[in-house]
Amino acid sequence: MRWLFWVSVACTFAKQPLVAPPNDVTTVLLVTGTLGRPLDGIARHPWLAVRRKGAQMWQLYEVPSVATESDPFDRGHDYGNPILHAVWRGDEADRAADCIEHEAEPIIRDIDDHYIFYPGPNSNTFGDRILRKCGLHASLPSTSIGKDWRGLIGAGVTSEGTGVQVETPIVGLKIGLKEGIELHVIGLSIGVDFWPPAIILPLGPGRLGFADR
Amino acid sequence: MRSALIVMLLCGTAHADRWSRLADEWSGAAWLHYEATVLDRVEHDASVKQIGLAGARLHGVFGHGHVFAFHAGLDLAAGGTVGQGGFAYDVAFMPFGVALRPSERSVIALGTGVGAMGGVPSLDGAVTLPIDLTAEVGDGRVRLLARGRVSYVAGAASRADGAPSLSTGPESSLLGDELEAMLGVRIGRGYHEYGFNSGNGYFVAASYRELEGARFAGVTFGYSIDLASPRSMGR
Repeated sequence: MRWLFWVSVACTFAKQPLVAPPNDVTTVLLVTGTLGRPLDGIARHPWLAVRRKGAQMWQLYEVPSVATESDPFDRGHDYGNPILHAVWRGDEADRAADCIEHEAEPIIRDIDDHYIFYPGPNSNTFGDRILRKCGLHASLPSTSIGKDWRGLIGAGVTSEGTGVQVETPIVGLKIGLKEGIELHVIGLSIGVDFWPPAIILPLGPGRLGFADR
Repeated sequence: MRSALIVMLLCGTAHADRWSRLADEWSGAAWLHYEATVLDRVEHDASVKQIGLAGARLHGVFGHGHVFAFHAGLDLAAGGTVGQGGFAYDVAFMPFGVALRPSERSVIALGTGVGAMGGVPSLDGAVTLPIDLTAEVGDGRVRLLARGRVSYVAGAASRADGAPSLSTGPESSLLGDELEAMLGVRIGRGYHEYGFNSGNGYFVAASYRELEGARFAGVTFGYSIDLASPRSMGR
């Protein structure tokens, strides 16, 4: 069945290559990988990889822990088929790294204390919260189930920063210039992204069209 | 998320006795479908010519025994109709049901509850009482997916006795007002990890529906996953 997964992956065009930038400046990466089988086709897990200027190793921030790794993409058997969603470099990354170092662990502890695998709060809730807290304008893919968890009811600006969303565990809606229109039903996302153009699906990489970047 | 799940499970060892007792007493299985269906009217007049619906079905069974179990399910789908085209929806919550588990991952389940189905403006919205029979059979690469449903309709007089196959003449049918069925094959993989049997894959199915006195036939494409605890756990 792996070939079918790759067919769906191949239906996301212009993805960012899985290449770690040089360490001449600070770099922050937003990466997701698939969960283990049989959920690998429908669910992804995020982590933020931070490497300071001149450093060799990456700090990976995720639920439930912070780890140090030499490769920000290779997570062994834990998370497969990584996708690089966003890259921040230079001064912007320095500010982001300061914020992540300061804010990530309290958020991780809070989510750990209240963790619910489905519908949330879970590791994807952490990803969305840290993006919003640190002003890192990017979106997690639709298969990051739990990214839109806001409790029983919640509303606010999206992590991408150009839209708004209203969420409950049963149904939610996200609308934005870069986010497109995304309907959430029991944690599953479906919708249309206008730029880059794609159909948002709760399957595989979460998009049929151009990669979100 | 997977690490967190493992940590969560490990944390649960603090309550190992309770978990162990639960695992000894109960076993279960669940399946999730993402599916898209397109149906075309094949005979008789109806305000709707085609129906397209996409959504998810999440069902589970749990029980004490090896073979018998309780069953509950939630079906959510939305889409559109052609011919007085517009928005269409089909949802059902079926908390009451029973199931048989002939093998680790195979399930034959009967369920009922309440639903709603309609199209704006083409198909009068109705509250439905579905009686749903589902079969998911196969522990390997190939899995047979079958589903049949008879629905009683309330709140939409135009849709009473809408299934020609269930019609008993001028008298109102006691067999139900609407009918639907699906029969398909999933090609995928089966796994045995962490003590659980599971599988996933894409499927294609023939679909059939009767409503408003018309017959519809079409095709369903989807992706499904299934997960089951060993039946021997539930003793």
